[in-house]
Amino acid sequence: MTHDFVQNFPLFCIILTLFSGPCCMILRGRWARYVNLGVISAVGVMSLFVLLDVCARGGSYVYMMGHFPAPWGNEIRVGPLEAFMALFFCIIMLLSMIGGAPQRLRKIEASKENLYYVMVNLLLSSLLALIYTNDLFTAYVFVEINTISACGMIMICQNGHTLEAATRYMIMSLLGSGLLLLGICFLYGLTGHLLMSNIKEAVAQLVAAGTYHAPLMVAVGLMCVGLAIKSALFPFHSWLPDAYGYSTVSSAAILSSLVSKGYIFLLIKIFYRVIGFDIICNSKIINIFFVFGIAGMMFGSISAARETNIRRMIAFSSVAQIGYIYMGFGLGTGMGVLASIYHILSHAATKSLLFVSAAGLSESSADSRELADLTGAGYRNASAGMAFTVGALSMVGFPLFSGFISKILFAQAAVNQSGKMLPTLIALALSTILNVIYFMRAVIVIYTPLRSIPAERREGYRRIRMSTYPQITVVFGCFVLLNLVLGLMSQPIVELCARGLGMFG
Amino acid sequence: MIPMTAMAPFHLLTLGEGLEISFATDGISLLFMGITTVIWILVGIYAVAYMKHEERPGQFFAAYALLYVILLGLDLSANLITMYLCYELMTLVSMLLVVHNHSREAIMATLKYLFYSLCGAYLGLFGIFYLNHYCVDLNFGSTGRLDLSALAGHEQTLLIVVFLMLIGFGTKAGMFPLHGWLPSAHPVAPSPASAVLSAIIVKSGVLATIRTVYNIIGADFLRGTWVQTAWMSLTLLTVFMGSMLAYREPVIKKRFAYSTVSQVSYILFGLSLLQEQAFTGALLHVWFHAMIKCGLFLCAGVFVVICGCKRVDELHGIGRKMPVFLACYTCFALALIGIPPTSGFVSKWQLALGALDADVGFFSWFGPVVLLVSALLTAGYLLPIAMRGFFPGEVSCSEQVGLLEKKEPPLLMLIPIVILAIAAVMSGIFPTGLINVCRNLAAYFL
Repeated sequence: MTHDFVQNFPLFCIILTLFSGPCCMILRGRWARYVNLGVISAVGVMSLFVLLDVCARGGSYVYMMGHFPAPWGNEIRVGPLEAFMALFFCIIMLLSMIGGAPQRLRKIEASKENLYYVMVNLLLSSLLALIYTNDLFTAYVFVEINTISACGMIMICQNGHTLEAATRYMIMSLLGSGLLLLGICFLYGLTGHLLMSNIKEAVAQLVAAGTYHAPLMVAVGLMCVGLAIKSALFPFHSWLPDAYGYSTVSSAAILSSLVSKGYIFLLIKIFYRVIGFDIICNSKIINIFFVFGIAGMMFGSISAARETNIRRMIAFSSVAQIGYIYMGFGLGTGMGVLASIYHILSHAATKSLLFVSAAGLSESSADSRELADLTGAGYRNASAGMAFTVGALSMVGFPLFSGFISKILFAQAAVNQSGKMLPTLIALALSTILNVIYFMRAVIVIYTPLRSIPAERREGYRRIRMSTYPQITVVFGCFVLLNLVLGLMSQPIVELCARGLGMFG
Repeated sequence: MIPMTAMAPFHLLTLGEGLEISFATDGISLLFMGITTVIWILVGIYAVAYMKHEERPGQFFAAYALLYVILLGLDLSANLITMYLCYELMTLVSMLLVVHNHSREAIMATLKYLFYSLCGAYLGLFGIFYLNHYCVDLNFGSTGRLDLSALAGHEQTLLIVVFLMLIGFGTKAGMFPLHGWLPSAHPVAPSPASAVLSAIIVKSGVLATIRTVYNIIGADFLRGTWVQTAWMSLTLLTVFMGSMLAYREPVIKKRFAYSTVSQVSYILFGLSLLQEQAFTGALLHVWFHAMIKCGLFLCAGVFVVICGCKRVDELHGIGRKMPVFLACYTCFALALIGIPPTSGFVSKWQLALGALDADVGFFSWFGPVVLLVSALLTAGYLLPIAMRGFFPGEVSCSEQVGLLEKKEPPLLMLIPIVILAIAAVMSGIFPTGLINVCRNLAAYFL
């Protein structure tokens, strides 16, 4: 396909997802589901074409909507990194939606099912917009759309826990968006622009002239804190365990692996395309990220080790993994950010796998999520057990799987930094050991034979064969494959990300 | 005869930039592969008979075969990354052997094993991260890959990192302070598993240490530094402590496990001297200890499964019922103590001579003294079983042994034990070939 046609695809993707959302409202549950899966696949295919096109041309391009130049028109910017992220997010979302389908169909009232797909489509559209947009205010608008649809996804099965979790999420998230909006307003006041590239020029002039230093830092700080709250950086993570722990499984998988990553991607864009990476590095903000990132790694893992509910355990582990990503930013080098981007990929592929397989394990154990009740679940649901083990090994950073590569990238990025090298390496080692403690404990529990627990507690246990849900077995296979690809063939992906990141500058 | 330097490595795949998985053969890898294969075949034969007494033999043999492949991979690794990969895989698969009977103690012991091993491995990984930056590359083909120009000014940090790596890889080899997993993991595992755990798996810690210190860092860099002193002190402490704990331990398998703690540190002590003859002795002890300790654990399996005895004092009079078997046990005991002309004597002799020759001041006479004291303790904890077995004295027989009929263990179990016993003695009488191989290797590295 010619470039002239393919270059429209990012816009098509956003528009398609945005309008297919409301369409799902008038469809019945089943049709809405098909539309949803079709839209996600179509967006994935289009993103693949965009990626191939961008790679073939070897550069990025700016797409003016309606051919109006800024400041009147709105812009989309497409480069290898953006296209790859869009493709990757679509894959994860598709797998999570298919993998979570059985539980979703059981838990959600039939009359509300189509509403769920409205939310998912809107969520995807906002994620795509966050990835592609070149305009700070558009980003803010889609951040809000993202928040609201994520809330809907959390509370779609209405019970006490999810309502509480959604309320908490709403409060924290709106606080985050509020701070982001304040930051954008400050920046608009200082520079008079909303388009990323224009702001960057103006900021460079301000810094060169040495004026307005304090307001500029306040604006940057507000945006950073706002996005940190939304992506659950320690200590703003209080909303996370409930939101991931009690919502339906596809919501948990999508929220943990995509939604928080969308905000982090926006933060990277702000670093590189709005403020300028050098200015960020020269400020003290990255040190704060570094400290809180490491604190999050420790705290998240310790909380996870103390948790007995498997879903909440996985959720707390997300806090730790987000900590890794912010620690990478904190290193203040391109290598560090690159490692963080790779960790975004590896964590997305692993965490959604863990959530989906944990749901399979609970299903075979009378829907209990307590670790003690999952004894022997790996035998009752063989495919979920294997998938969980792979996910756990990847999280622990076992060679062959994706987690190992991202840890090595973090370590390599850290070795160049004299002051931050030892803290990073020690934090990596400690957090790995903590990961081992809770993930390996869970794996051993699910592979302990049943005879160690009394018969009366085994009520409701049932065997789930691979043929019961063939589509889920395929989903597990794809997830494991994705993990292996990220773990064994990292070099081209790292190069692609590095090239994309280089074009951000 | 045996190639000293690595042949052209076989490149399997690339994990990422500079992270290559590749394999190559050199002298060290052949030496370790040799002993692994010998032990694997003999224990495999033994296990066929032994596993009739345990549940799920299929699962055991699956893990057993898989572990062999991984160990060969470990021995053949051509760089630190590959070695680390195989090292981790080995931990994971050997965990299946330890957890085999799924009892509560087995699970707790496995968690302990996993925790210690992974802590150790991550200390090693931490070092690999660091070395990656200060080495030309991480390949094993030479005797030192440090990039001295990049290193200038960071020598002290590197020493700390090397020390941590030594402790990390020492975990698998049961070196103080991370030796705690050995006495817990051995008693709960099936005896063939304990045998390979003690004979081969702990040696992988030794292999990793050799690779790190002699292939990557280079012996010259460490000579005379505080790391060498600290390393020697830790190994000597472990030698003494392991023997002492074994001496006081009444449970048979735990006693042997503590003995492993002590004996493997003989090897590490030999490596820490950075001296040619001591290195030869260490390599010899790798072979001899693997044969002897494997034999001892196979004996322990007979004690546990056939006799139903778990404690030392339940074995009185066993020699009356199984004379051939206990004679083999006595051979192992004599060889481990190091009484001439058995194999243990040869390796310990080389170790002691090397220590006296090495330029390490206080340690050059203190080391041999500790080795001697530990040998006495070894006699103290191994020989009583044989003596009371043959000559129970007034109490004639213990309760359990009294119930046994007068019959040797099944042939499939007895034959590997007899072969190992003969090998343990004969390799002390005709050690020249093996000594020459080890000498050549030592001359290459030092």
